[in-house]
Amino acid sequence: MTMRPHASVSLRQQNPYDGQDVPKVEVRNLNFYYGGFHALHDVSLPLHDRQVTAFIGASGSGKSTLLRVLNRMYDLYPHQRAEGEVLVDGQNILDPKQDLNLLRARIGMVFQKPTPFPMSIYDNIAFGVRLYEKLSRAEMDERVEKSLRRAALWDEVKDKLRQSGLSLSGGQQQRLCIARAIAVQPTILLLDEPASALDPISTAKVEELIDELRADYTIAIVTHNMQQAARVSSWTAFLHLGTLIEFGRTDALFTNPQNPKTEEYVTGRFG
Amino acid sequence: MTVQNLMEQQVPHPFAQQAGRENRRDRAFHGFTMGSAILVLVILGGVALSIAVGAWPALRAFGPAFLTTEVWNPVTDQFGALAPIYGTLVTSIFAMAFALPVGFGIAVFLTELCPAPLRRPIGIAIELLAGIPSIIYGIWGLFVLAPFLQRTVQPFLIDTVGQVPVIGALFQGPPYGIGVLTAGLILGIMVLPFIAAITRDVFETVPPLLRESAYGLGCTTWEVVWNVVFPYTRVGVVGGAMLALGRALGETMAVTFVIGNAHRISTSLMAPGTTISSAIANEFTEATGTLYTSSLVGLGLVLFLLTFSVLALAKAMLLRLDRKAGK
Amino acid sequence: MNNGFYRRRKLVNRLALTLSMAAAGIGLLFLLLVLSTLVVRGLSGLTLDLVTRMTPPPGSEGGGLLNPIMGSILMTGIAMLLGTPVGILAGTWLAEYGRAGKLAGTIRFINDILLSAPSIIIGLFIYELMVLRMGHFSAWAGAVALAVIVVPVVVRTTEDMLRLVPDSLREAAAALGAARWRVITMVSYRAARTGLVTGALLAFARISGETAPLLFTALNNQFWSTNLNAPMANLPVTIFQFALSPYERWQALAWSGALLITVTILAVNIVARSLSRNKGNRT
Repeated sequence: MTMRPHASVSLRQQNPYDGQDVPKVEVRNLNFYYGGFHALHDVSLPLHDRQVTAFIGASGSGKSTLLRVLNRMYDLYPHQRAEGEVLVDGQNILDPKQDLNLLRARIGMVFQKPTPFPMSIYDNIAFGVRLYEKLSRAEMDERVEKSLRRAALWDEVKDKLRQSGLSLSGGQQQRLCIARAIAVQPTILLLDEPASALDPISTAKVEELIDELRADYTIAIVTHNMQQAARVSSWTAFLHLGTLIEFGRTDALFTNPQNPKTEEYVTGRFG
Repeated sequence: MTVQNLMEQQVPHPFAQQAGRENRRDRAFHGFTMGSAILVLVILGGVALSIAVGAWPALRAFGPAFLTTEVWNPVTDQFGALAPIYGTLVTSIFAMAFALPVGFGIAVFLTELCPAPLRRPIGIAIELLAGIPSIIYGIWGLFVLAPFLQRTVQPFLIDTVGQVPVIGALFQGPPYGIGVLTAGLILGIMVLPFIAAITRDVFETVPPLLRESAYGLGCTTWEVVWNVVFPYTRVGVVGGAMLALGRALGETMAVTFVIGNAHRISTSLMAPGTTISSAIANEFTEATGTLYTSSLVGLGLVLFLLTFSVLALAKAMLLRLDRKAGK
Repeated sequence: MNNGFYRRRKLVNRLALTLSMAAAGIGLLFLLLVLSTLVVRGLSGLTLDLVTRMTPPPGSEGGGLLNPIMGSILMTGIAMLLGTPVGILAGTWLAEYGRAGKLAGTIRFINDILLSAPSIIIGLFIYELMVLRMGHFSAWAGAVALAVIVVPVVVRTTEDMLRLVPDSLREAAAALGAARWRVITMVSYRAARTGLVTGALLAFARISGETAPLLFTALNNQFWSTNLNAPMANLPVTIFQFALSPYERWQALAWSGALLITVTILAVNIVARSLSRNKGNRT
């Protein structure tokens, strides 16, 4: 994949992939259960290649659950199971034979609260890379720098790479986590309310970052903030009580919702 | 397009080999940890089994009478566990009778009365004392407490309470210094920091709101303790006390120094006696003959069953408290 | 009348609180007595001789506790090496894999029982398991008996500490494609590092004064021996024998040894405590 120069992606209209809707991920008839609780009902939707898809809905709507199916994070816990199909590049990742670690190495994830590991900034980035790649020192240095630059954090931390990741501010920690995720060179990024624990300035920085990253990554973002969804995404999925109510282009869904429930939610909370 | 897709699926992911290796290591690590966890069960099972096997010759020779016979005679190979069982129970009961009220007092003092700046240091001191090994208490009992009791307290008890009918029987005979009374007291002193620390911890599980609302009704400090703190923590306090009892029952070194090691049941608390653990500690290396050794292991089996049930009950009670506290 | 009732309540309050204060006073007095005697009787013996000379023959003057000290260090060290890894792995399983499962619940319960089980029973167990089989007392048997005591202490603290590590950290590592064992060893352990050290220190403090499990496993030895297959001198059993002996020099050595053990244990406990407290302040 080639990196696109900065300027060309700063405006959404110029994104060359808007309009060319190639599905990178296809969710088909997905049902999800927490033990006996049926949390997702027959959800089907695509994530388009190198575009941002937002999952919105009230808490308990299943938007985070849906996101956690995409890298099978739920597999860490007993009594949680998914039925249906999730095709990534045409392969069903819900297949029991799917190697989970390999899957997760291809799909990056950033969480609601920053989760820096208790190690240096450098090691935080190198952690995931070392798992699968044997890089020389220079190559690793380069990868760390590239990732930090990509996450717009390099200038702030380049002189203290050996300091603990915990010493950074909340917003910096979150960008560190984004840098950590992209250092592994995934093709898909899952963002679970990445800005909800941040102050407005840090939030703006993270949103800007998402806007830049979408040139290279297929991004799914869960958010409870509808302005944010409108700002960063091309596609939006509205979930309600575990059911996908409406999926469509973000501008259409927000300005002209087809379903009354969507309208209620969007107008009640939007603006 | 489809051909290309097919091609892509044929080519293994560049990380696939590494991933396979990781999965094997993962299974190995899981196996190691689980094996270690199961080892904990195996250890307890091994303890029970080995002691039962070791005790078997004695159990076969004496049958249930082992538990009810007082005779302990290595010369005639006659062994009964009654005296050590009696000694174990009496010293432990005595210890609890001393340590429970005093330990509660310390806990109430620490949670309700103690000036704030002293609360932490005293609390830490008590926790540190709970970590001091029992041999220290034993040696102190032998060199300090026993002579002191022999010179002052015991003659006084014999002259006063000893003259009273019925209960006077408990305080008869010459003041040896060492004996059941001394052993019980030293045992009490030893479990005291443990009881105080655990009771304080339990008292601190009372939600401040509950305590404050009682004070808000105009309750005195004691009324809050008696009507709010005690009822709320009852299960935990009893559980903690049982845990302490489990310790007292099995405690060896603190008792062995001062019990006197006499295999008989005397009505007088001042006479020498023995407990299960001190009998084992004193005699095990010197025991000759299968039946003698086996009888000592048999004592161990009795102690194991006794402490196991007390501790299991204590744990069950503390678990209930944890659930109530929403842990 | 209302006033009288109130006065009565105040009286009861004062009485009860006085009693509780008195109880606290009595309890602390006893504990203070034990410690002060220990210092008074043991301090004069804390000379260089104590740690450089061997135990004296009965009835003679001089000598020190060199061989029991070395024996204790050796057996305690082996016990820690044997018991700590097992304890950490078992605690890891409880916190990371077993969690709320039935097996984990059972193991947790049994571990807590083992934690408070009488140590003399552990001694009997190792006697039956090792001493009888090998046909003689040995330092190995003593070390294994101590290791059996180390395990439940470390299991407990390891599990408690790992449970304090938030699941979000584990998820973050897993999301990068880290296999579970890497998540645990590289992230969970790192996050719980001071807690794990604290657990090991507490276990060390616990076994350094244990006497009962050594009585008929390591036995004791009047002489210098580094042979792990033979009885080995150790501090607690030496204190026990010397204290009960009629010789004044031996009794004095017992007091000094007791002081030495107590100071060691207090110091280790204080270090462990300050470690975990610093940790608490940071988060």
